[in-house]
Amino acid sequence: MEESPLHPFELHNYIPINLFGLDISINKAVIMMWVVVGLAAFLLVKAGRSRRMVPTKLQSLGELLVEFIRDIILDTMGKGGLKFFPFIATLFVFILFSNLLGLIPGTYTVTSQIIVTAVFALTVYAISIVMGFILHGVKFLGILVPPGTPGWLLPLMIPIELVSQLARPISLAVRLFANMTAGHTILGVLFGLAIGGGLLIGWLPFAFTIAMNGLEVGIAFIQAYIFTVLTCVYIGDAFHLHGADDHAH
Amino acid sequence: MPQFDTHFFSSLIFWEFLSFGILFWVLWKFAFPPILQTLDERERKIKESLEQADRHRAEAEQKMQEYEAKLKTASKEAETLLAAAKERAQRIMEENEQRLRTETQRSKEDATREIDQERRRAIQDIRNQTTEMALLVAEKVVGRSLNDADHKRMADEALASIAESRKT
Repeated sequence: MEESPLHPFELHNYIPINLFGLDISINKAVIMMWVVVGLAAFLLVKAGRSRRMVPTKLQSLGELLVEFIRDIILDTMGKGGLKFFPFIATLFVFILFSNLLGLIPGTYTVTSQIIVTAVFALTVYAISIVMGFILHGVKFLGILVPPGTPGWLLPLMIPIELVSQLARPISLAVRLFANMTAGHTILGVLFGLAIGGGLLIGWLPFAFTIAMNGLEVGIAFIQAYIFTVLTCVYIGDAFHLHGADDHAH
Repeated sequence: MPQFDTHFFSSLIFWEFLSFGILFWVLWKFAFPPILQTLDERERKIKESLEQADRHRAEAEQKMQEYEAKLKTASKEAETLLAAAKERAQRIMEENEQRLRTETQRSKEDATREIDQERRRAIQDIRNQTTEMALLVAEKVVGRSLNDADHKRMADEALASIAESRKT
């Protein structure tokens, strides 16, 4: 193996574009974003278009997705969270399609770029913070004090909670990025072994590649799901400060 | 790691926001509302169908009970009717028998009476004729005629004596 196993994650600008000094060149990841958006929009709009009482297969899938996201929101945020439904559902769809399409050989996994996952995580976190301050005002700072904390523990608890709060967007971003990167790296390494091993021993890593590919499909779903659930939980926390409202965690 | 190459960050961030925004707008406008609407509609329809089915079943049960009750009363009615008819038939039969018996009795009595009358008349006739014949014979024998009243009295006496002698 003369190549780094991380070689597939490298990007090259195909078309350099400069917008008011901002480099927005087209590269493989950008093209994959377009593919993700185009495919997801096409399938879901088509699913919504059929509107039959006895659903078509695509319509069933669309309804399954919508109900799935709706249930997650209802479970974590309660009825009030449903106004975030379009955002959270789009987030799930975007991440899921990115993860899955990236598994096709020759494509690029958008979510294996730390900056992409970081933008999602920071956006989600920013929404939760802004929502919190809009709904609860200064009292939202109370999120740093778990309910029932004795006064003398505050100097200790507030820094700890601050760190745990700040860890939220970081862990959210890193989890998705690391899972996608690791999965593809393992696939690359195994496939490299299969090629390098020749017929005599190469079938073993090749069989592993197939098994890993199946596993990666599962991981693609699970990571999209985890990202969505955590998004709901973080926004929900801002919504119901310490479970003060109708819904408690 | 190539992912930490900040060289591509600006373009990735830009295109991510743009493409996510487009997807968000498209799904929000054209995909989610019809799907959610269809789901709600289906839910409503299923609920309605279930309610309707429940209502129909209740109705059917009620009708069934009604029919059963009707059937019961009808069979009871039929039974009473049958019993009444039987009773009437019995009564008519008995009446007929009674009437027949009395009629028979009466016609028998009538017949007996008639026979009796006829017999008596016949006896009377025979008696009269016998008397006349006896008178005729007597006239021929005596050669003279007695008046009618004498004849009768004498014949009666003779006959009475004959009857008397026959009795003893």
